[in-house]
Amino acid sequence: MRRTGSALAWPALGKSLGVAAILAFALFPAYWMFSSAVDVDAARRGATLIPTDLTLDHFVRVLDVGGFGQFMRNSAIVALGTVLISAAVALLAAVAVARFAFTFRRAVLVLILIVQMVPLEALVIPLFLQAKNLQMLNSLLGLVIVYLAFSLPFAVWMLRGFVAAVPKEVEEAAYMDGASWGRMFWAVLLPLVAPGVVATSVFSFITAWNEFIFALTFLQDADKYTVAVGLQRFFGQNTADWGAVMAASSLITVPVVIFFVVVQRRLASGLTAGAVKG
Amino acid sequence: MTTSTARVAPIVPRGSAPDAHRRRAARRRAVRPWVLLAPTLVVLAVLLLWPLVRVVDLSFQDFGLRELVSGESNYIGWANYAAILGDSYLWTVVLPNTVGFAACCVVLTVGLGTLVALFLNILGTFWKTVCSTAIMVAWAVPAVTGTYVWIWLFDPLNGLVASVLAGLGIIEPGTVNWYTDRLGFYAIATLNVVHHGFPFVAITVLAGLLTVPKELYEAATMDGAGAWRRFWQITAPMLKPVFAVVTILSTIWDFKVFTQIYLMPGGNGGNAEVFNLGVWSYIQSFAQGKYGMGSAIAVLLTGILLVITVVYMRTLFKEEDL
Repeated sequence: MRRTGSALAWPALGKSLGVAAILAFALFPAYWMFSSAVDVDAARRGATLIPTDLTLDHFVRVLDVGGFGQFMRNSAIVALGTVLISAAVALLAAVAVARFAFTFRRAVLVLILIVQMVPLEALVIPLFLQAKNLQMLNSLLGLVIVYLAFSLPFAVWMLRGFVAAVPKEVEEAAYMDGASWGRMFWAVLLPLVAPGVVATSVFSFITAWNEFIFALTFLQDADKYTVAVGLQRFFGQNTADWGAVMAASSLITVPVVIFFVVVQRRLASGLTAGAVKG
Repeated sequence: MTTSTARVAPIVPRGSAPDAHRRRAARRRAVRPWVLLAPTLVVLAVLLLWPLVRVVDLSFQDFGLRELVSGESNYIGWANYAAILGDSYLWTVVLPNTVGFAACCVVLTVGLGTLVALFLNILGTFWKTVCSTAIMVAWAVPAVTGTYVWIWLFDPLNGLVASVLAGLGIIEPGTVNWYTDRLGFYAIATLNVVHHGFPFVAITVLAGLLTVPKELYEAATMDGAGAWRRFWQITAPMLKPVFAVVTILSTIWDFKVFTQIYLMPGGNGGNAEVFNLGVWSYIQSFAQGKYGMGSAIAVLLTGILLVITVVYMRTLFKEEDL
């Protein structure tokens, strides 16, 4: 009898088919995006699995005519602003919850977890009205500020895992050598959690780079659009310039995919530290 | 007078100086975490808690474009809620869309993610790395651009799916528009959201699988347990907390899917049959200018998510001591 189900008994063919299925399902949309972006006539001759007539015209069109370079710059400014502020603020909070025992510590953790469930639709209405009053609509700075609302709780939660992973003895040794708390933070703790800060920052960057609903609501002039909103410019009343949309989508996606793949290991460990170990 | 007080200070008996020092150090230790937390708490209060209070406040007002200009308030009590809850549109369209869609997405995301994790776990290092990098790419593709790819794949005129089906003679080219049909619309949205969401489940479950001792499986295999029984009797109980977390997180995310629904044809106001709670709230506020009504819908959505979150918290805190 065949040893059904034993891990060792998995036939090589089954494994190959499984790998092929996963690769196809996971990668096909991204492949289709890039292949449409370089296909000469993506819209008219839609279903060419392997484009033979390649061109960069779609990219030239979105960058030159569509002003997509400006959208990329705006997104980069907003995302970098969000990253710098949230990394600094979140690291302090992460140290507090990971290193200090204090009353309400648990309450703070619950608060940080619970605010992540708040739907953006609930925040966007009051924040839109407030930004309008403060004349912060149509401003990239206004967008950076509201992005802190959701990048910060996640950053605290993830960094907390990285800070907790640094052995306490390292800190104690620094104290024994007569270091002050501030010095210990800068000279000992910060270098050790730096990889975690990088992974968390990449994630905050991506969240801000991808954000749609606030950008859609807050930004009014085309010269302020971020990439997520700017994409809509390539849609007409009833038609879409799919070659341009896919070229622009590729430009948005490439940096995110590169970042993601580079930090995937740390990202996974940070997430599981947050999700599994509480 | 200050000078004399200052001079008095050194007269304090020497023995208590270290005490005072220690007390000051203790106070500094007690205050320090709050100093570190202060910026975060301020941001959360101003950008999350205050807007939440404000959205509840708005939900009791007839806040429209006139109030937006004048800045005045116009309280109408529970009228917005009465209007929403009394409207059959909520019960026959929006709620089924929101709940049905979320339920399908969660089951498929967690199911597929778990299958992929179990499969990756039996692969050698090389192919495991290749596959997990590929699913990272699926995860990394932004919601906006990912959604446009799915729209383009199912484009009624030139999309790949339409062309292939037309080529096979199943449909007449350009005659079928899946987006105008509620089920077709949500089938495409489900495919999109599951594709974007399963990597998180797969990566998390895979990390959990690595913590299960191999000896358990070996012993079970010796006893003649097949893969099905090994999964339900070893993997599932051992990874219960992991499954609880990924299921509840997916539920929260899938209840508030906005970008994917809003961007699909008809989703941004063209087809009221396909709205979910989030899109309905947004359209009421920003397309119709009924901010009060939109707020009431947003409060309803937040309430549902809050209940799910409380369940999430209880799962998390029962399993682990923070």
